[in-house]
Amino acid sequence: MAINRRNFFKLAAAGSTALAVGKAHADDSGLTVDCSDNYGVLVDTAVCIGCRRCELACDQEHTKSGRPPESFDDKSVYEKHRRPNKDAFTVVNEFADPAKPDDKYTMKVQCMHCNDPACASACLVGALRKDAAGPVVYEEWRCIGCRYCMVACPFQIPTYEYDKALEPRVRKCTFCYERITEEGQMPACVAICPNEALTFGTRQRLLEVAHYRIKSHPERYVDHVYGEKEAGGTSWMYLAPAEFAHTELPRLDHSAIPTLTETIQHGIFKSFLPPLALYGLLGLIMHSTREKKDRSEESSNHD
Amino acid sequence: MKRILLTCLVLGALTLMLAPLTSLGQRPMSAHPELDHVDLDCSSCHSCEEPTIQEPCLKACPRHAAMQKTGQHQLSEAPDTIMLAEIADQFQPVRFNHKLHAEMAEMGQDCATCHHYSPEDEIPPCKECHGGEANPTNLRQPSLKGAYHRQCLSCHREWSHDTKCVVCHLPAEGSGVVAMGYDSTDIIGISHPVITEPEKKVYHTPYEEGPVVTFYHKEHIELFDLRCVDCHQEENCSYCHDLQKPAQLAKSQEEVHAMCNNCHLNDACSKCHDTKERPGFTHASTGWELGRYHQGLDCRACHPTGKRISRLSNDCVACHGGWNQENFDHAVTGLRLDELHQMMECEDCHVDLQFTQTPDCTGCHDDGRTAEFAPPGDWINE
Repeated sequence: MAINRRNFFKLAAAGSTALAVGKAHADDSGLTVDCSDNYGVLVDTAVCIGCRRCELACDQEHTKSGRPPESFDDKSVYEKHRRPNKDAFTVVNEFADPAKPDDKYTMKVQCMHCNDPACASACLVGALRKDAAGPVVYEEWRCIGCRYCMVACPFQIPTYEYDKALEPRVRKCTFCYERITEEGQMPACVAICPNEALTFGTRQRLLEVAHYRIKSHPERYVDHVYGEKEAGGTSWMYLAPAEFAHTELPRLDHSAIPTLTETIQHGIFKSFLPPLALYGLLGLIMHSTREKKDRSEESSNHD
Repeated sequence: MKRILLTCLVLGALTLMLAPLTSLGQRPMSAHPELDHVDLDCSSCHSCEEPTIQEPCLKACPRHAAMQKTGQHQLSEAPDTIMLAEIADQFQPVRFNHKLHAEMAEMGQDCATCHHYSPEDEIPPCKECHGGEANPTNLRQPSLKGAYHRQCLSCHREWSHDTKCVVCHLPAEGSGVVAMGYDSTDIIGISHPVITEPEKKVYHTPYEEGPVVTFYHKEHIELFDLRCVDCHQEENCSYCHDLQKPAQLAKSQEEVHAMCNNCHLNDACSKCHDTKERPGFTHASTGWELGRYHQGLDCRACHPTGKRISRLSNDCVACHGGWNQENFDHAVTGLRLDELHQMMECEDCHVDLQFTQTPDCTGCHDDGRTAEFAPPGDWINE
């Protein structure tokens, strides 16, 4: 966050160029880039036992909030829905189909690592980007703290260190970027999950697994893989024993969130022609009016 | 010379082109004759295109049709206690009381409650299929850790509403893991209390035309050779075991009907419902009192088909049609035939194969003798 004005503009220029290049590929494939080889995680809420080990692992790996490990055994937290915050990138909540209030199931929430993330699209400085490996990566040294990402995210995931006077950061699940890309490991939450309710793999393989599970246990799941299509698809996907409307996952269109804004904006600035045309037109008007003025001035001088 | 060379070239090219086809044809189509009856192609089990004995590239435990059914096994075949020591550096080995759990599973889906996809003749341990690490090539299959935990926690969570590690894992010394004052060792060696099945249950129902249902529980099991799971299908561990609520032993009207309907779906209400208590089953009530030989038989020896027991013809040959003078030991009837009568056909004495009636000897012997006073052999007194 050590960023001065000059650096900011340098980065802004570099960032917008990078974004433009990145998105050029996105436009080629229609809605989004091909993310089938990205890493993802399939969350099987029918297998999840709500042990909160994922919260513990995440805390030890990232947030290091200093909560004692025993505190993660406390099940009374399920009495109210929690949201991820700066000290917990993932939280487990409990849900039930209102028609079957006794059949409770638990579901962890964290950044969904969208295929075409709205936060990255909204970010002015390119502090958030979709990495080719799958994670939506946050680079705090670029961040100017505008918090547009928090407004843009359809899942309301990014949080902010409001309590920090100096160098506050946007905080969200990192998908254990270094672990999965450099160390060749699974994310910490996936590795610790005792029931293996979390499956780590490429998005394409995970979708195969998800549909296989639905097919082989139609009594256990609703026929819906959340995140397969929502918001243009996400790296993290969910299976559930009941309709997702009963959970906190929002009902979303299949088109990626940035599609509308980017279509308008990219349309306006397409090949820089519309601005050129506009300014050209303005220039012409200026020029023509100025000529008239000059002439009228000349003629008045003659008088 | 040129022509010969050209011909050779063309022939060589043709051979090369056809080589893959011929090798396809030569591939042993039935490398596993024991699996011929199963609808499988090579890729169900092998990950590569041409598996060899040296490199079979086997997929981990394919779930093919032959493995879908776990055969019937006895509890005595199974180990009492299993030590699970895969992570002995962090925790003490888990002492898994297999016997106790297997006894509880008898009310569920028996061995198959946990041992899914086992071949008929054996029950492999979990680690036969589930490897120590998550298998990146087969994301469908949980690792050993996942397999163990899924089996244990699916019931334990319902039972104790708790998922604490130390319920099963006692911390290893010096591991730094703190025990939380819970000791699972007291459960080791415990046997499930014997479930005493009731002899008879009399239900008083609101059904006006037949308020009384007499159900001979023990007799039903013996008569129809039933296992607990044949009727008690949905009763998993937590049906009886829940630390937070008392055992739910009474069943609702729907649950009881569902159990009976496994077999009695097409029967009228009066099959069970009556105005008064009914006596238990005797074979004489069917019109066929069992004699000394039939008494000792298992019901299934005569009524073999399915779950339902159907009425049989009381004609001997309906069951014993395969007997003739060659293979029938007449002595079992209490009369050992003499040599002369042994040579004769059955029908010679038992006219029209009417075995229930004592034969009339006058067909051959015109001196008016009867089998009682001049038997065609010796009566054996037992």
